[in-house]
Amino acid sequence: MRNIFLIARREYLEQIRGRAFRATTVGLPAVFALIVGVGYLSSLGLGANKHLTIATGDAALANAVRSRLVGDKDGQATVDVVAPARPEDRAALVGQVRTRAIDGLLWIETPAGGLPTATYISQASGDFITTARLKEALNNGLVEEHLTGAGMKQAEADAVVKGISIETFQVKKDGALIKSNAQASFWKGYVMAILLSMTTMIYGMNVARSIIQEKTSRIFEVMLATAKPSDMLAGKLIGVGAVGLTQIVIWLITGTAIFISPFAAALLTGDFAIQFTWTEGVLFPVYFVLGYLLYSSLFAGLAATCETEQELQMYMPLAAAPTWLSFAMILLIINDSNSVWSIAASFFPPTAPIIMFLRMASQIPPVWQFAVSIGLMLLSIWGTLWFSSRLYRVGILMYGKRATLPELLRWVRYS
Amino acid sequence: MMMGITLPDSGRIRLFGKPFERKSLERVGYLPEERGLYKKMKVLEQLVFFGQLHGLTAEEARKRAIEWAKRMEIADALPKKTEELSKGMQQKIQFIASLLHDPGIIVMDEPFAGLDPVNAVLVERTLLELKDQGKAILFSTHRMDQVEKLCDSICLINNGEAVLAGNLREIKASYERNHVIVEFEGSSDFLNSEEIAEARNFSGHAEIRLKEHGNAQKLLHEAVRVATIYRFELVEPSLEEIFIQTVGGKADA
Repeated sequence: MRNIFLIARREYLEQIRGRAFRATTVGLPAVFALIVGVGYLSSLGLGANKHLTIATGDAALANAVRSRLVGDKDGQATVDVVAPARPEDRAALVGQVRTRAIDGLLWIETPAGGLPTATYISQASGDFITTARLKEALNNGLVEEHLTGAGMKQAEADAVVKGISIETFQVKKDGALIKSNAQASFWKGYVMAILLSMTTMIYGMNVARSIIQEKTSRIFEVMLATAKPSDMLAGKLIGVGAVGLTQIVIWLITGTAIFISPFAAALLTGDFAIQFTWTEGVLFPVYFVLGYLLYSSLFAGLAATCETEQELQMYMPLAAAPTWLSFAMILLIINDSNSVWSIAASFFPPTAPIIMFLRMASQIPPVWQFAVSIGLMLLSIWGTLWFSSRLYRVGILMYGKRATLPELLRWVRYS
Repeated sequence: MMMGITLPDSGRIRLFGKPFERKSLERVGYLPEERGLYKKMKVLEQLVFFGQLHGLTAEEARKRAIEWAKRMEIADALPKKTEELSKGMQQKIQFIASLLHDPGIIVMDEPFAGLDPVNAVLVERTLLELKDQGKAILFSTHRMDQVEKLCDSICLINNGEAVLAGNLREIKASYERNHVIVEFEGSSDFLNSEEIAEARNFSGHAEIRLKEHGNAQKLLHEAVRVATIYRFELVEPSLEEIFIQTVGGKADA
């Protein structure tokens, strides 16, 4: 026991003092904030400041569409109207698009007695945001024209076209209603899941890397003269895991401090009110420890069979597959967190930590499901540890060549 | 195997008169051939860590580490990181790490590898002091001159087989005193004498192996006639020669 503690403490202190720890503690959340921030800010200006021309025989429709496009605060478009336009104007207008005098041309044909048809011509092919705005403006303009044409007052027609928005609430166990926002909870679940998967992977890799380093520097020979292989593996897993936990606790504390600050209160009101619960605060470290133990014990076994870090890298995509799988399921889980697939994936140990957090983002699953997922994880951790510690014990003293599969199986049976 | 690193295929291991158990390793000092130190760790912390693994308290380990560092003339390296040290210095640190817990048995694999002559003498002297304190020291080396200086008993291993083992003095005594070292000035014609089986001449210094029952006195007479002799010494074969003779010049390094 004393040796495990000594080895764990050495590992912990070395990593905590390292530059990498400081860099990731500050860097990871900063990179996140940057990614989310850049994504949000750039989406604000998407498809904005376009110079468009609407050409049609129906001047009333053209002006209705124009007023909608200009009135759109996000769009900030400049719109010219050519009405009534003759067919021979079209070539000249297309020429303007080609020379970039205008960004796009909306050509509306209004055949007598039929529905209008519209063509949008621009140099870009993938500008779906502008296309969507045009479609909305055109449809609304058309509906409004028909309504006013049928004798409805302008203001009434405006109100009908504008439509109504749906406000969403989430009902809690105690019956309280909380304003919820699908987008906000999606982001919350997404960010927590990414943080969780990154920390598990990073610290799992750390264990593997430090094993390889000790193997190449032949420290094992010195260490094994006093400590048992199992003590060394246990000490390493505990030491590196404690580093990860320290990092998460730092994040949780700063996160809480930021969320209860007046600044955040001002920012996260209304539609972006994000609900954080104690359950999430407690389960985050729990699932980190479980996920970390599962991955790091697996990596430890793999690392002991490798000679160099490069060799270890080959296994990484394989080891990262469950993480990719989890994120591939993200839409399914956010949309229906209680579907059979969601529940099954949150029980499957390699994907359980991430999937559980994605599920929790939309709705806290029942207690028995947590119990099953944690129980299954513990069971699989025990299994991988059993397997890896056997590989580890023999692998760390095997130099010079990579182990073949039959050799690995022999190592597992050995002793 | 006696360090508990690998298991024997057959046979038993006994340490301190008892069947092998891990607890006994606290009384064994081990210096492997490869430098096994944590590169990023400071030297003193490293020594304290290894001392603690061997059952010392942190304070005791620190105290001893500082004493040993002074003794090995490496005290100013204590606050440095291991990766900043030269190979020879790392070797000395490793040497200290294996002795910190005052082991009764010391096992060393090539303890002189990477040391300059000054430090090699320092390590040599330390080993002799430990020997005088009654510690059992077991070490392997390719340097026969060190074996002659340091060892009481030897075991020559070739191709995994023990080819020669026993007390060094007795082994050497069992070989005939049929080697002559001559220092001379003048003609080296006497090296063609009938008494000589093999001679190596290094301009003024010759190492001679006599024929079986060759007469050294006769050789001396022949030598005096053609050259001025400064030294003529009849010696036992060196361990190096015994080694070469025993393995028949087919050693696999």
